[in-house]
Amino acid sequence: MFEEPFRWMEAISTRHSYVREKLQSGQPVIAVPYQNGALILSFSPQPGKIFEVYDRIAMGGLGHPADVEKLRMTLLDMAHLEGFNRSSQDVNLARLLQFGIAPSLKQNFEEVMRAPYLIKLLLLELDRDGQPNFFRLNYDGYWETLKNGGAIAGDEKAMEWIDKKIEETPFATFPLEKALAQACKFWQEGKQQAAGDEEKKDDDPEAIITLKKVFEKWSLEVAVLCAETQRKSIYRTIDSREIEKLKAAVL
Amino acid sequence: MNSSQDQIQSSGDFFDLLQRSGYRLHSPLENANAGEKLVLTQATTVLAFHYKDGVLMAGDRRATAGNSIMYERCEKVIPIDDYSLMAIAGVPATAFEMARILSHNFEYFRRSQMQPMSTEGKIRALSRLLKDNVGMALQGVGAVSPIFTTYDLRGQKTLIYFYDILGAEFQIHTHSATGSGSPMIRGILEHENLWGKKPLAKRNEAEAIKLAVRLLQTAALFDSATGQARPEDKLFPVIAKVTKDGYHFFPEDEMAELFKKSMSRE
Repeated sequence: MFEEPFRWMEAISTRHSYVREKLQSGQPVIAVPYQNGALILSFSPQPGKIFEVYDRIAMGGLGHPADVEKLRMTLLDMAHLEGFNRSSQDVNLARLLQFGIAPSLKQNFEEVMRAPYLIKLLLLELDRDGQPNFFRLNYDGYWETLKNGGAIAGDEKAMEWIDKKIEETPFATFPLEKALAQACKFWQEGKQQAAGDEEKKDDDPEAIITLKKVFEKWSLEVAVLCAETQRKSIYRTIDSREIEKLKAAVL
Repeated sequence: MNSSQDQIQSSGDFFDLLQRSGYRLHSPLENANAGEKLVLTQATTVLAFHYKDGVLMAGDRRATAGNSIMYERCEKVIPIDDYSLMAIAGVPATAFEMARILSHNFEYFRRSQMQPMSTEGKIRALSRLLKDNVGMALQGVGAVSPIFTTYDLRGQKTLIYFYDILGAEFQIHTHSATGSGSPMIRGILEHENLWGKKPLAKRNEAEAIKLAVRLLQTAALFDSATGQARPEDKLFPVIAKVTKDGYHFFPEDEMAELFKKSMSRE
């Protein structure tokens, strides 16, 4: 198999199909800037999609929980060792991705006898000037920067739709409450796009995905990186009182 | 991912992670007898006591090596996490390194395990570092005797722990002081607590700060390794509090005013 380039390429192509199929049902995760920082959110049947990585870095993931956990721990280890051995100011996402997990992920993906990672990650940081940076990391190690925020989703159509909407919205000028409400709406609309809810509107209105149904069934996870804090770690999860306020605003 | 990362390592122990990465808290000192010849940078008078709102922690700013004054702006009260402070006495090189390890340890645990480390775990973590440092301490090149203060979120109370250089931990219910200047003020602290106008634990913030400033000035009068405040150079002791809201350091401009008030006779 390894002597024949075509067989290797075929195997890689099959792996892409396999991973995409496995990720298909992954719920969208959205990260956008707001007036005083950046936020990341997702709805999911069980909590465990949004995490703190380092003082000014957060991540959201979808895919197999064990794989997300492996990469989360790898990022944590790398960030904390770097922060200890040098300085917390030397820890940033570009370095963690470019020199850290992206090459390893690529290598892992192309070693066809090893199980591929079933993941997509969305990473964000507030740099020392208070500017948010967003990155999307794919299961094969490919990563890209997202200027004004972005999304990951198992369904490519939903992801592209949310990305486009985020690009058109001046999130960086919004206060937190408004940015949160808007991001929730995009989450819902992205899901609807993927599910083809437009067509269902007349035939079966009950089947349409709404935020009301999602709030009832699932939990919302939101975290912010807020520049307006004296604490070293600027990561903060939104508490239940703030979520209730958000619900009142969007439902 | 490399082979070690293929297995999920989620003990949340940063010190273990450091050691796996090749780090050693101290270099081996075989046949060195270093302590006999070296003159090491040392310090200090630091103290902590319970007052009405929590714990007040204070320290002078001088670092010495033998009879030489090496540095006059040393920060001997160090933040470890949002609710914990460590006051150091002994060899700063080791003490600062321990503080950095501890700080990373608490944060690494909180992030990796997605829950804060228990208060007992935090107290034990410092004890473990001191125990690992026994060899250096006994060779005379790395002795550290810290005071650790933390707010216990579960028990909703502020705690003070004193450690000896071997790592034994002692919970302190009233007051503690360590460093070369501490013998001069421990008696005063006890006297104030027993026969002062109020017990230490009932004093308000202003009263607690006044006492801390006066104690450090007294220690500096008798101990050459403890530095006096020098208002003309904007050099004041470090004073911080730990309460239910976390730690807070009193900034320099506030300290200037507090120092002035503390030095006047009532």
